[in-house]
Amino acid sequence: MEETTREWCSSMVDNCEEVPTKEVIEFRPPLYKQRYFFVKNLVQQHKPKKVADLGFGDILNRLVLKDPFYVFCRSNLSPSVGDYLVPRDLDLTITLYRGSAVQKDSRLVGFDLMTCIELIEHLDSEDLAKFPEVVFGYYSPRIIIISTPNSEFNPLFPASTFRHLDHKFEWNRIQFQTWASDVANLYDYSVEFTGVGSPPAGAEHVGYCTQIGVFQKNEAKATESCISTPEEHVYETVNPCFQVLVDEIFFLQVFTTAYPSLQEKKNLLLVLSAEVLRASNSMRLRFIVDPKKKKVNGRLVPEDSCVPRYGLIVTDAQRAQIESSPKPYCVGKKFYVPLERLITFPKVNRLVDSVERLRSLLSEALKLNRDQSALQVDLHDHYSRTMLSY
Amino acid sequence: MHSPVAPGLCDPKTSSSSTKLLISRQRMGTDNSQSARPCGRRAWGGRPGPPATPPSHRRRAGARGRGRRRGGARGSLGPAPVTCHRPPRGGGGSGAVRAPRAARTQGLGAPTPAPPLPWPAGNMSGRARARARGRAPGPGATEVGRPSAAPSPTSVDTGDKEASSSSGFVGTSRVSQQCEDGISSGDAGCTFIERGGKIRRDVMDLGICTREKLAHVRDCKRGSSGVPVKLVTNLFSLDLPQNWQLYQYHVAYVPELESRRLRIALLYSHAEFSNKAKAFDGTILFLSQKLEDKVTELSSETSKGETVKMTITLIMELPASSPICIQVLNIIFKKIFKKLAMYQIGRNFYKPSEPVEIPQHKLSLWPGFAISVSQFESRLQFTADVSYKVLRNETVLEFMTGICQQTGMSCFAQMCEKQLLGLIVLTRYNNKTYRIDDIDWSVKPTHTFQKQDGTEITYVDYYKQQYDITLSDLNQPVLVSLLKSKRNDNTEARMAHLIPELCFITGLTRQATTDFQLMKVVAEKTRLSPLGRQQCLARLADDIQRNKYARFELETWGLHFGCQMSLTGRVLPSEKILMQDHVCQPVSAAEWSKDMRNCKILSARPLNKWLIICSNRDKNVAEDFLHCLRRAGSSMGFNVDYPKNIKVQENPAAFLSALQKHVDPDVQLVMCILPSNQKSYYDSIKKYLNSFCPVPSQCALTRTLNKQQMMMSIATRIAMQMACKLGGELWAVEIPLKSLMVVGIDVCKDDFSKDMVVVGFVASINPRITRWFSRCILQRTTTDVADCLKVFMTGALNKWYKHNHGLPARIVVYRHGVGDGQLKTLIEYEVPQLLSSVTEASSNISPKLSVIVVRKKCTPRFFTETDRSVQNPPLGTVVDSEATRPEWYDFYLISRAACRGTVSPTHYNVIYDDNGLKPDHMQRLTFKLCHLYYNWPGLISIPAPCQYAHKLTFLVAQSIHKEPSLELSNSLFYL
Repeated sequence: MEETTREWCSSMVDNCEEVPTKEVIEFRPPLYKQRYFFVKNLVQQHKPKKVADLGFGDILNRLVLKDPFYVFCRSNLSPSVGDYLVPRDLDLTITLYRGSAVQKDSRLVGFDLMTCIELIEHLDSEDLAKFPEVVFGYYSPRIIIISTPNSEFNPLFPASTFRHLDHKFEWNRIQFQTWASDVANLYDYSVEFTGVGSPPAGAEHVGYCTQIGVFQKNEAKATESCISTPEEHVYETVNPCFQVLVDEIFFLQVFTTAYPSLQEKKNLLLVLSAEVLRASNSMRLRFIVDPKKKKVNGRLVPEDSCVPRYGLIVTDAQRAQIESSPKPYCVGKKFYVPLERLITFPKVNRLVDSVERLRSLLSEALKLNRDQSALQVDLHDHYSRTMLSY
Repeated sequence: MHSPVAPGLCDPKTSSSSTKLLISRQRMGTDNSQSARPCGRRAWGGRPGPPATPPSHRRRAGARGRGRRRGGARGSLGPAPVTCHRPPRGGGGSGAVRAPRAARTQGLGAPTPAPPLPWPAGNMSGRARARARGRAPGPGATEVGRPSAAPSPTSVDTGDKEASSSSGFVGTSRVSQQCEDGISSGDAGCTFIERGGKIRRDVMDLGICTREKLAHVRDCKRGSSGVPVKLVTNLFSLDLPQNWQLYQYHVAYVPELESRRLRIALLYSHAEFSNKAKAFDGTILFLSQKLEDKVTELSSETSKGETVKMTITLIMELPASSPICIQVLNIIFKKIFKKLAMYQIGRNFYKPSEPVEIPQHKLSLWPGFAISVSQFESRLQFTADVSYKVLRNETVLEFMTGICQQTGMSCFAQMCEKQLLGLIVLTRYNNKTYRIDDIDWSVKPTHTFQKQDGTEITYVDYYKQQYDITLSDLNQPVLVSLLKSKRNDNTEARMAHLIPELCFITGLTRQATTDFQLMKVVAEKTRLSPLGRQQCLARLADDIQRNKYARFELETWGLHFGCQMSLTGRVLPSEKILMQDHVCQPVSAAEWSKDMRNCKILSARPLNKWLIICSNRDKNVAEDFLHCLRRAGSSMGFNVDYPKNIKVQENPAAFLSALQKHVDPDVQLVMCILPSNQKSYYDSIKKYLNSFCPVPSQCALTRTLNKQQMMMSIATRIAMQMACKLGGELWAVEIPLKSLMVVGIDVCKDDFSKDMVVVGFVASINPRITRWFSRCILQRTTTDVADCLKVFMTGALNKWYKHNHGLPARIVVYRHGVGDGQLKTLIEYEVPQLLSSVTEASSNISPKLSVIVVRKKCTPRFFTETDRSVQNPPLGTVVDSEATRPEWYDFYLISRAACRGTVSPTHYNVIYDDNGLKPDHMQRLTFKLCHLYYNWPGLISIPAPCQYAHKLTFLVAQSIHKEPSLELSNSLFYL
């Protein structure tokens, strides 16, 4: 599943633990990535539909979109060319807000997951006191992730001060866990503690460099939270920065972008036709080179199973499934692949679940035979005419 | 840069023999030139925008490490040998390391990974190995243990280290529509000229002032004859206030800051800059308003509390017409286009929101624009031309799998290279484009490479860590892309290794461009009538003017985006076609085959001893055809005797052995009736008859000759071709200049070996310009610059002397196939070659020389407005003002008809002119020469000698791959 979270663009400068050349302790992968991975794994586990990321940004705050398949991090929220080429499975909408984490905003109610990565240490005591009421009490998402530096780790760094100039505090594990447990109790959440950034050998006692609390709403309330309609998968990222720098060049306004996905018919059609053509092409080529064919009711049917040798199939089970489906055949100079066979191909099957759906989609983009039971392609296309002659 | 495979509607093989072309032309109703393309090449972009190669002599020489075979000391060209870094190989070295196929993961809902192909082992065979060897460092180049380019950026700020192999500023991060982004990537994304030395190559050409040396056109380069016609263009005027200047500053930081983003952020955080129009790349700052002091000192505090001092020093004040200023304006427009939700691919901008889908060919076309700002005759102009980007839902791995299924393993590697090299791929993980320069079959994803920080990592781990991508096929080879160095040090050629699975093919493969069905669909979807094009332009102008960010950007710079420019062109008087005993005034200059029906051609040698070779099946076809051919021949005054008929089996080898058996030097011509358009038939026949046993040959497809209802017109065309191949002359136009030799030169890359170029040279050898001398050579260099012109020119002058007993008084050379940025090389290298042979030819008065660069690809478009609609301008329209360049003696000429699409004018740039012809005469001469291509009874888009040279190089590059025999040089044997 998908999720969104945020990158500190200024992290290279601000978070000293991520500048390896100046550091004694080096994290691999870098700590900020470990935090992403952590959130990402959690998202994959819980499959939330709406995710909010409360972040802090001083000058340049950016969002990072983490797509499970390709895009890991980038400085740009808008879909890229690649996102159009390979549409996502599900819809994704990203919305960027600017506001304050300690002021209630109704737009943030109804989320499944909220992440506050390296956020609370930037809050002064007044804001920190308001924070639980807003996030836990008012927004009340199913899961909340809060991460903050572990001050016990700091002696391992050369600099003895806070890790970031704007940090109002850096807690040790007991301080954080006490605060977190109190908050969890108050708002009926359960909390588990973990972290990222393992300490070096010999210093295991200091614990993780970044400590993380994962809060889960206790079951009784959890049922109310899921309000999205099943078809609509909206992911939302919220990035309120409470230290608003008024500067026109940043135009920090609300920003929304929607990603192309297979939920849109035109995208699905293009991807599906490509897969169907790849599958039929592989069978067609097998058919051409296969010498053994017999004539059945005017159709030229191969004796071979016409299962492609390379590509497209992974497991023996899939191969067996394809073999047991109706065989392709040839009439005149046209080659026909029954839809029932096409749908057994894993990559086709992943896109559509029934022959009926396959039929209705393909009839819009490609040529089917008269009773719409099979795909029709030219037995010899341009490629096989020219390439086979080499 | 001239592409050997023109993505035209016709199969190149088809177009090799014009008989077949005739059919496709008639059926499709396309235009008249050989490579008929209704919308120009960019319509379906074989590549994103113009060719994405850096100034090729430097890079190529570096990449291949090859010595160059170029005579003469030429300081300006001599490239320093560039070291080539072979990427370090991991583990198994160059042997085939078959890694276990265990690491496949199949997530729920995740796309099913493709199972591995039985990849060819690293120890490749034959040609592939030769290729790899050929690319190893040459003499003097040392292998340096410097880390190879990481296949993709390794950290956030690699944006400026990672050179994308595509053109322009593509390597830079994209500005999103998110406004805050503007501060970093928007401005920072550019390398300015001073720093990178990377001037856009077409801009580079603009700096070459050729006109000032030509005294007779210094004041006026406009012609006078013809009827004035009002034309609308695709140029938009850009108005700047009077005395507008651009101020270039250098910004220094104390202490030095590595991060470009931080440098930009610190500078921009100063209130002084917040409302100013600015472009800043971290070092060079451009402002439209001057700062108070020459040196300004500012200080800022980073979020870490460090105080940074910035010293901003004025370096230059640039007038609006300076090349740097034009480059900055181009950058500003790039920003604006990104604000219009357009995506930059290559140099162009595309709209993904309104794609044209072609599911049956797995294609998706994005509409967009090719844009540029440049200085035209009197003012700055913004040019926009409609362009479509072809995108494919196919990774290179899937494509390779397809090839494997089609060809089997035997020639799999060879086929992959043939199809893939030169293609532009898009890597989805970082959204960059690369050009595939090679495939390294010996490197697998399980091998390691050295990252920039010196650590070794396998490709698999790298993509997992960096992008969280799991590779499914651990035995796939890697694609090699040479990276352009952004800095101007030509010491390092860096390479990037790319994983096929992660690369998406953009544009059309070579195979696809020869697919008639596919190209037809693409053409239908992309072809725009002049009206449609005009509407697109109007909408774009409207979008720019309505978008508030675009408006804001333009206003702060003081720019005013004006209206579409119109200008006055002239329609040259039409030409009469001179036949043997008849002068015909064609009804339409686009095609006059009807007008000259039953007219005798100027001269023809009778065809007495000749052969027809056909397959056993095609015996009747051959007989029917012969009957028609004789009839057609006699009506045009070309006597065709009965040939010797040879029937062979239906395979290329049988044809070839028949040739070997029956062709002797007395045979005047061989006609082959080919049962299929398999390339091997055509290639083997042409190769044998052009270089081993020089006899003119004529090929025709059975399929073509089977078309009964068109038989007579086909036979007429073939008869004409045969007459030409025997040295006959078909028609002429009136040439007022006596003793004029015209020459056409074309250069294109060999289809087989990419480091060979084919140079074709065709010169007229009679004052009537009806007989031609043709030479062609293969030259081992990758710059599209000809080496052998002196020899060719001397040869042509000797021929002329032999036929005319004297030297020509004037020589006009038309040079075709010139790429962006090559103008300077041409002037410094090719013109002197021609000049020296001309001056050496005679001791007293040597012929006067003019050299004209002919380009079919140019940005301006012209339309005529007729009662609320727009149309293509009439044939013979000349534009020599406003849309031309002030520093050149140039003009545009429309000499071809476009039935459905928009016509693109041909650009002529006179770079050398001793003849001192009046511009009017030069234009009219050029127009006359467009009538003389004997393969098409009509006007063509470029002068006939250029088209002949093109046809010749095309034949050699595609089929023969060898120099044709000298014995054929007196006839148009390649038609």
